[in-house]
Amino acid sequence: MKTRILGFVAVGGVAAMLAVALFLAPADLNQGDAQRIMYPHVASAWLGYLSFGVTALAGILWLWRRDLRFDAVAVAGAEIGVIFTAFAIWGGMMWGRPVWGVFWQWEDPRLTTTALLLALYVGYLLFRRLTDDPERRATRAAIVGIVAAVDIPIVHFSVEWWRGLHQTATIGSPDRVLNPAAPMVFVGTLLGMLGAFTLAWAYLMIRRYQLARAELAHEETVRRQRIQAARAPHPAPTSTEVAR
Amino acid sequence: MSDLRGEARVALAIARKDALAELRGRHATVSTLFFSAVVLLLFGFALGPDSARLAAAAPGLLWLAVVFAGMLAVSRLHLLETDDGALEQLALYPITRRAIYAGKALAGLAVMVVLGLLVLAAVGILFAVDIGGAWPPLVATVLLGAIGIAAVGTFYAGVTVRLRAREVMLPLLMLPVLAPLLLGAVKATAAALAGDPFGELGAWLQLLVAFDVIMVVAGAATYGYLLED
Amino acid sequence: MPQTTIYVSPRSLGAPERRPPSVSTTDLARLFAGSPALAGVSLRVDAARTVALLGSNGAGKTTLLRVLSTAIRPSYGTASVDGLDLGRDADLVRARVAYLSHATGLYDDLTARENLAFAAAMYRTPDPAARIDRAIADVGLVDRAGDRVGELSAGMRKRLALGRILLGQPSLVLLDEPYASLDADGMAVVDQLLTAWREAGVSVLIASHATDRLAPFLDGRVVLERGLVSAVSGQGVASQPPSLPDAAPATGMLS
Repeated sequence: MKTRILGFVAVGGVAAMLAVALFLAPADLNQGDAQRIMYPHVASAWLGYLSFGVTALAGILWLWRRDLRFDAVAVAGAEIGVIFTAFAIWGGMMWGRPVWGVFWQWEDPRLTTTALLLALYVGYLLFRRLTDDPERRATRAAIVGIVAAVDIPIVHFSVEWWRGLHQTATIGSPDRVLNPAAPMVFVGTLLGMLGAFTLAWAYLMIRRYQLARAELAHEETVRRQRIQAARAPHPAPTSTEVAR
Repeated sequence: MSDLRGEARVALAIARKDALAELRGRHATVSTLFFSAVVLLLFGFALGPDSARLAAAAPGLLWLAVVFAGMLAVSRLHLLETDDGALEQLALYPITRRAIYAGKALAGLAVMVVLGLLVLAAVGILFAVDIGGAWPPLVATVLLGAIGIAAVGTFYAGVTVRLRAREVMLPLLMLPVLAPLLLGAVKATAAALAGDPFGELGAWLQLLVAFDVIMVVAGAATYGYLLED
Repeated sequence: MPQTTIYVSPRSLGAPERRPPSVSTTDLARLFAGSPALAGVSLRVDAARTVALLGSNGAGKTTLLRVLSTAIRPSYGTASVDGLDLGRDADLVRARVAYLSHATGLYDDLTARENLAFAAAMYRTPDPAARIDRAIADVGLVDRAGDRVGELSAGMRKRLALGRILLGQPSLVLLDEPYASLDADGMAVVDQLLTAWREAGVSVLIASHATDRLAPFLDGRVVLERGLVSAVSGQGVASQPPSLPDAAPATGMLS
């Protein structure tokens, strides 16, 4: 019930913020209306990264605690994260076309890092599908997730260096608005969008996690039933307990 | 039990065993060398015949060839462990998991260094690149790149060795993770060849060192979990 | 009993009465793809005992040995070797357990001697060269020591795998069908090993169908059927029925 409320609030929040972004926030002086897509783009990208962090952390917790619920969180994070990351890339490209003139700019650190993040996600999800046994799958996915997550900061810094060392002036980047000198209305809209998207993310995560947990519970019931069935027609073992 | 010297000896024994099996008949090194040569030839066909363009692209082509061939090499080193359940037996010895990782990564490193240096020489010849006095930074770049590829490759080779779709999963998982290493190695190579006009060589080498350290630690910490079932 | 000269490295084990059980499991269960290979095995094997593990194919013998060797983890239940918990102290257990499985774990491209040299490095066997020579002699592979394992027959590879065990210091030896693929001489080697291990106070758990041949060496027998212990006899071995299925799973699923 609480989740459903969250869902409604999230949908409402996203719709409201999209309206704000589209109609109420002022257009950017340089980039015009194209800049508006930056709000959902940045919000999605942020949630894409957060999701991967959640997946990696859940993997660590699985390895430590061996509770399959953590693996359920990990797979939820990966699937939801893919959605947000893909959307972020699409948004980035839609923004890039009118502003840069091209769909892709290699030296934009957010775009390239996010593209790599998507590749890591897809690899993680495909990899998961190759193992049937739940515990083995959880362990292998956890280590793949951890190593991938460790890679992301390195990727980010390397691309930043790439851009920085070449001093090519990009006409503008979505990050402009994160500049502390940016007017409040931009920052406010962005934060509002971020908040709304985060609510939507939380709702999707909870639902996906519940689905995964239900699957786990079902599997566990089946396993116990099978063990019971194996034991059922069996008489107690004839034990000769002999003292030494 | 902090018995580092013992672990090091175990790791070296594993690396030596891999090297021995290599020399005896695995031909991982030889076939990957030939593979990299073929890759370079194809690059020549695809991007040539303008030698100026090839020379400009040479650092990138060098490292692409090394990465692709390196993937093959580390995967074949792990294939060695499918000999009649050898990997499972390896996991049963009273040795630490990170020593196993270190041993196999060392063997991979040896192959990668040889591969890297030979491909460097081949690129110099095929793409008319004047190496001149740039040998020291180039060799350093090759070494750092080799460490990174060996560390990451050994890890993912272990991850995929028993999977059905191993041939496609290994590159799919490994290549995105190698992206920063590729970037750093190519930039460092280009800078070294040009005489480091912007003074960026140091920065790129630092990136490679950071990548190597992080990946070796991550690999050593997680590889052991592959061996439990 | 045949005279034996096989060198089993002595690990100072102490008097058997004062040692913890070599094997102690509680409700041990293991599923593969949802189907239980072990469904709740509670078994105790005392120290310095040689026990046969009997049962038809698919009864769970190999799975039990693999869990005890730490090659695979249990799905439910607990197990300990020499009083050491398999979950917490797996590395300590590995130092004391030797496992001969269906697969030999040998490297085809290396010679017999090189395979043993590698194992000696892994076991950190003291005085490795002499021990390797001794092990090769003890399993009767002296004239094939320099041959690549890929060229050896299945029986010789098995003997080599047995020789590898001699390089460690196990207090528990797990044998899965030790007589399979062996000729008469090879089987005699196994017999000598069993005698040597008994004399050294090493516990041996053998999964086998060759009950007649093993009879003179055994202290006790355990029969597995469909993943459960169905019968236990002899000395030094005991079992309990599986407890109610609400025993805590080794890997927690739901609260």
